[in-house]
Amino acid sequence: MRKTVLRLIFLLLILLSALAAVARQASPSISVSGDVKQQLTLTAADLAAMPRAKAVTDNNGVQTTYEGVWLSDVLKKAGVPLGPGLRGPALAGYVLGSASDGYQVVFSIGELDPDMTDSQYLLADTANGKPLFGENGAFRLVIPKDKRGARSVRLLSRIEVVQLRK
Amino acid sequence: MWSKFLLLFTAFLAQSGAFDWHIPKPFPRPAVPADNPMNPAKVELGRYLFYDKRMSSNGKTSCATCHRQELAFTDGRDQAEGTTGELHPRSSMSLANVGYSPLLTWVNPSLSSLEEQARIPMFGSEPIELGLNGYEDRFLGDIGRDAVYQKLFPEAFPGENPVYTIGNVTKALAAFERTIISVNSPYDRYRYGNDRNAISDAAKRGEVLFFSGERTGCFQCHGSWNFNGALRYEGGPLPHVIFQNTGLYNLRGELSYPAPNTGLYQYTNRRKDVGKFRAPTLRNIAVTAPYMHDGSIATLAVVIDHYAAGGRTISSGPYAGIGHDNPNKALNLRGFKLTDVEKSDLIAFLESLTDTEFLKNPSLADPWRR
Repeated sequence: MRKTVLRLIFLLLILLSALAAVARQASPSISVSGDVKQQLTLTAADLAAMPRAKAVTDNNGVQTTYEGVWLSDVLKKAGVPLGPGLRGPALAGYVLGSASDGYQVVFSIGELDPDMTDSQYLLADTANGKPLFGENGAFRLVIPKDKRGARSVRLLSRIEVVQLRK
Repeated sequence: MWSKFLLLFTAFLAQSGAFDWHIPKPFPRPAVPADNPMNPAKVELGRYLFYDKRMSSNGKTSCATCHRQELAFTDGRDQAEGTTGELHPRSSMSLANVGYSPLLTWVNPSLSSLEEQARIPMFGSEPIELGLNGYEDRFLGDIGRDAVYQKLFPEAFPGENPVYTIGNVTKALAAFERTIISVNSPYDRYRYGNDRNAISDAAKRGEVLFFSGERTGCFQCHGSWNFNGALRYEGGPLPHVIFQNTGLYNLRGELSYPAPNTGLYQYTNRRKDVGKFRAPTLRNIAVTAPYMHDGSIATLAVVIDHYAAGGRTISSGPYAGIGHDNPNKALNLRGFKLTDVEKSDLIAFLESLTDTEFLKNPSLADPWRR
């Protein structure tokens, strides 16, 4: 009897972990890869657990409050040196943001470091308190200080870090 | 003394009273010039004038002849027809959200005032539209004797004497035009109104294509919430307007676009401006065929084909040429590939911009029919 209960519990645990894996796979995510110490696959739930940040944009009088996490915090989480650690050869690095439709934008690592510039780079997952949807995809970059929106990658799915000098 | 004070005070109240635009969130109000503040009587007066055929030399046409509400204030023609039958070289532009437009007409780089623009169809002779030049006194006399106007003009312009002036006519027309606002399409409800079921799945896929710089790049010229680029709105900056050559023509010879529709060149005389036009709004685009500045494309499907090819090829006739190779063509018009399903998705998205409430809005309709 006891053996049967243990077997049932074991099977239940396997089932639950399989369901969690499927759910995780079904949730939209962003991969952080390349020259990083820790490769990441981030879902909205993962971003929700990180320090949150906001940025407000104005599209011809229509204001939108985006919320998410600073891209620099994502890079730090992946082990990319920023702040005092960003010096020497590490400055010859860049970040490639890619969208699911193939759109790509390059940023130098230096410009993403809040210790270096005042620009803001938000990896957004909500707009006006609601999850992003449709043309934005589940995640997008929001760069409120840019004069044009072309670098604010919609449908963001991949962040790759490339170090040119290793 | 007191009666004069009361008159001026009434005028002040009428002019300064907050005008209720009835614009849903999150959209801004249009910019309004300081010398023509909005008031309900002025808007109503402008509406009567907009639909009044006495505005034309022969009493046959009004503003509404070329700007029909059910067609999003276009006329369904490739070229607009003036009151004497003369054809306008270009197609009537939609007046939907015209109050937000930093520039007016297809190509004029300096015409930004609706009040000034109204004088062109009224008095212009190339081409004759309403043909009112020389008939001003008769027109002002006619409306001065009309009971409707005898009530509305003094209410719209309290304390003014004379009140029946061309300046006040154009101010009233402009005030009415600023209320021609369309922001309640199914897409607006989907994007701004939290109704995720307001548009079809095909339209949702089409939205992604429209806003994809990698796939179609449509939004690069038809950006902003009005789908026509930068806007002018209350408290906002005066934006820079971009004119683009889309490779619609590429004629041999000196000018690559057929005269007189040579685009911005008409005003600047610079060769690099040949074929450059302002992007129109795509709101209600499904009801504003035919398309392009000269109405030379009949359907949205063919418009998409034109952009997918990166320019239109005309194989024979006087306009023969490969638009793709037009030297002035916008650099971002590289062309794109869509499957048949994606093309119909894109059309479904464009159709979701049709604001049926706007097309039937009684406050924008012909008041003479009541």
